[in-house]
Amino acid sequence: MPMVLLKCDQDIPEREKHVYLKAPGEDTREHLPLANAATIPGTLSERGCAFCGAKLVIGGVLKDTIQMIHGPIGCAYDTWHTKRYPSDDGKHFQMKYVWSTDMKESHIVFGGEKRLEKAMNEAFDEMPDIKRMIVYTTCPTALIGDDIPATVKRVTDKRPDVDVFIVECPGFAGVSQSKGHHVLNIGWIDHKVGTIEPEITSQYTMNFIGDYNIQGDTQLLQTYWDRLGIQVISHFTGNANYDDLRGMHRAQLNVVNCARSAGYIANELKKRYGIPRLDIDSWGFNYMAEGIRKVCAFFGIEEKGEELIAEEYAKWGPKLDWYKERLKGTKMAIWTGGPRLWHWTKSVEDDLGMRVVAMSSKFGHEEDFEKVIARGQDGTYYIDDGNELEFFEIIELIKPDVIFTGPRVGELVKKLHIPYVNGHGYHNGPYMGFEGFVNLARDAYNAVNNPLLSLAGVDIRGTGAVAYKEAAE
Amino acid sequence: MSSKLDDLFGYVQERCLWQFFSRTWDRQENIDGILATATDLLAGAAPKLDTPMDRLFYADATVMVADFRKRFPWLAETSPDEVRALIAGLKARLEEIAITGSKNRELSHQLY
Repeated sequence: MPMVLLKCDQDIPEREKHVYLKAPGEDTREHLPLANAATIPGTLSERGCAFCGAKLVIGGVLKDTIQMIHGPIGCAYDTWHTKRYPSDDGKHFQMKYVWSTDMKESHIVFGGEKRLEKAMNEAFDEMPDIKRMIVYTTCPTALIGDDIPATVKRVTDKRPDVDVFIVECPGFAGVSQSKGHHVLNIGWIDHKVGTIEPEITSQYTMNFIGDYNIQGDTQLLQTYWDRLGIQVISHFTGNANYDDLRGMHRAQLNVVNCARSAGYIANELKKRYGIPRLDIDSWGFNYMAEGIRKVCAFFGIEEKGEELIAEEYAKWGPKLDWYKERLKGTKMAIWTGGPRLWHWTKSVEDDLGMRVVAMSSKFGHEEDFEKVIARGQDGTYYIDDGNELEFFEIIELIKPDVIFTGPRVGELVKKLHIPYVNGHGYHNGPYMGFEGFVNLARDAYNAVNNPLLSLAGVDIRGTGAVAYKEAAE
Repeated sequence: MSSKLDDLFGYVQERCLWQFFSRTWDRQENIDGILATATDLLAGAAPKLDTPMDRLFYADATVMVADFRKRFPWLAETSPDEVRALIAGLKARLEEIAITGSKNRELSHQLY
């Protein structure tokens, strides 16, 4: 089966290169969706911007760091509090606060450096216990050429106890969020890794890279590493302190979950410091067990790993099986950022008996499509940078029972009375690990069996009711 | 031989993230290192564990070999020579799908 030109894309035929329906016997040598390419004019993309990828996904997770966004207020609001990454200190500082220089027209005309300097000083003065800051540029402040390093230097010269990291990644810097991941990764290793020596407390040390403590993912996995006696020097960046991440160079192993948002720093740590990179899947029973086995094999502590896996299976296995029995055959669509497509497609099929019928990625690269097509089933759609009309058409073609996606697309599918589960920030996570996958199963089961959505489609006024049309119709 | 190779290749495609690392050289390094270690393990030889990269290859290879043995009972009755030939065939197919035949436009980018 060649690439697919959907009916709604007849006027933008370039979209055919981004939509693939896998046929038996085919593989990625023959067909691979074009990805990490500029959105085609005429398509209504669901993508975020490059700045968002740096701030919302990675930097904003840090629990002890002022997030100073040098730009208009909307850039701050739209990347604040839309993901739920708590911290284990109970303060959840990173979810409560965000800072903006609130640039207005006059500041754009006359320059924003003084305003940034003032805002940085105000932030440090107002929060004297916080000594770490990330400064982000945005589209307008990048365009007017504000000199961020010079401004930051003026502040840090007068405040020797603070440390500031600069992310110069305006929204227009790349085709999607993905560019922001890249800029932050490379900036961090260039400027911050190796500037602190971590305290080593175990003979086994690692970094856990590409996990952002969504609803406690990091904290749950940390219980495993604690039981195994492995010291996690840095979580990049779930539940992390700024200074934890400055000591990444001392780990013996980099364990990577989200290779899309953080593979860069793992690659650089390997290149510059000789630390091996081990990629694992942290969602799913079978995958989590496999990941633990690999980590333990690296450190030569296989028996400990087997004990842990046996305990977790005994505790959570029956609960998972209960849901598997009831979710068997459920048709699922995954429309998320990129890696969750390949992390989830086999795990929900093997562990829960579900069937993944369509997957769409907002910012995945071609590497992500190689992974997901290798793992995914025949007869499944694989879409890069899907647009709203394509989602409507795909829904008609595959009729999913539940869609795992973000709140924006989620609102869209709710109108069609199709259950959706938040695939980014979760409904009721964590979703990683053994316990987490039972949570995912529960949310999928509750979504599919919730009667409210079908009731919402009932109009008690009978035939006289006005039928509201979607813009797409 | 061909169907046995299909089994091994299908498993790696479905399970192993190491075949799809970011760049050509990473993929080649993984394919070479993990399959060499797997060959040792399948032959009952002690794997090399001298360097961090040796231990990394061992971590991936030992899980893969355990799964091979569990999923493919025919492996227990396969001669050492045939096992070596199968791994060589697997290596060639992985290099083709992940490197030489890959349509991924980023594979040869000089930077990460």
